[in-house]
Amino acid sequence: MIVLEWLFLTIAPCDAAEPWQLGSQDAATPMMQGIMDLHHDIFFFLILILVFVLRILVRALWHFHYQKNPIPQRIVHGTTIEILRTIFPSIIPMFIAIPSFALLYSMDEVVVDPAITIKAIGHQWYRTYEYSDYNSSDEESLTFDSYTIPEDDLELGQSRLLEVDNRVVVPAKTHLRIIVTSADVPHSWAVPSSGVKCDAVPGRLNQISISVQREGVYYGQCSEICGTNHAFTSIVVEAVSRKDYGSRVSNQLIPQTGEA
Amino acid sequence: MAEAASTETPSLSEQYLLKKKDENSDVGSKPLEAKEEVKPETAISEEKAEEAPIAASEEKVEDTTAAVAEESTEINPAAENNSDDASAVETESSETVEQQNSDEQEAADEAPQIKLETAPADFRFPTTNQTRHCFTRYIEYHRCIAAKGEGAPECDKFAKYYRSLCPSEWIERWNEQRENGTFPGPL
Repeated sequence: MIVLEWLFLTIAPCDAAEPWQLGSQDAATPMMQGIMDLHHDIFFFLILILVFVLRILVRALWHFHYQKNPIPQRIVHGTTIEILRTIFPSIIPMFIAIPSFALLYSMDEVVVDPAITIKAIGHQWYRTYEYSDYNSSDEESLTFDSYTIPEDDLELGQSRLLEVDNRVVVPAKTHLRIIVTSADVPHSWAVPSSGVKCDAVPGRLNQISISVQREGVYYGQCSEICGTNHAFTSIVVEAVSRKDYGSRVSNQLIPQTGEA
Repeated sequence: MAEAASTETPSLSEQYLLKKKDENSDVGSKPLEAKEEVKPETAISEEKAEEAPIAASEEKVEDTTAAVAEESTEINPAAENNSDDASAVETESSETVEQQNSDEQEAADEAPQIKLETAPADFRFPTTNQTRHCFTRYIEYHRCIAAKGEGAPECDKFAKYYRSLCPSEWIERWNEQRENGTFPGPL
């Protein structure tokens, strides 16, 4: 079993962290897909450079061994090689920088109008989510707290320190605006599958826009040291179809408006 | 300026919105409930019309309606098969079995129960930091109210925007500050 784990053949939910994970989690948004593609593109150049540098290093050590060749050639100048080793390393970062900036700005940019705004408010040590698009007054109509389920209360199949009692339900294939802020200390709202990591700063509203492409449950954790229970402040996003989202939200709205 | 443009041409999110919109966006299930109330009566009345020659007295009609109710539970799965899109909740909620009704339900299902709409992207605030976006929308609403009078319909969209963007805690605080006359913004 351990060998299997070493070979990364374990069956684990792809949208949560797994033991001994080296790669990224499966992409759920175009943003995460872009990040992974960029990573792979850069790794191509990275490995080329690594091989080249290692070759030079080993070759130098081999040929200029102190016993075999105690007196090296006394070359101090080589115009050609100096030009080459200046120009090539300056071109390579360009190949890395261009797609990197393209991705960075496309992530930052909000191209289309979002259909839903969800407010994720960090607290010590839980998160409050507000769905206020359907409000008709200043009274909050759909707000809930999301606590991590303690280890003793876990049911079979639930991930330790990842599962929460109230998940954030979002519609899939819809442009979402998530407003991230905090009520006390800095937190961070991070869901690796959706390629999102946004600091929650008190007094400031940070916006991230995502569009989850497939239905599923996505796990994330607080990514900014926020106090004692930092490790117990997880995030679970549940992407459902638009229709299910509509019925879910209206079902939750009715009892609350009934109380009010 | 950006707003003027957005009012003329439908924004992308509006274009992608599913076609049939409910009038009351807050609680979408109200029409459904209304239907539930109506449908059994219509079904029964139709059945009544069929059974009328046989059933003479009122009590017998009551019995037949009970029988009809039993029949309806039997025929229900067939109706479910016919309507592909009808969700389980909908079929459970409505006990009626008329084919026409199930068609109507399909139409009701296609329409979103709640309107997926929120504050649009504002070109004044293109960055990640949306703090001023929320604040500006809040001020815009209250200036609109001050200019057009309380409850002016053209101000509603600003109310919707700031409610979507601002945390409710902030709104509460600002409302208090406005009442006390200590609100820091230009109202």
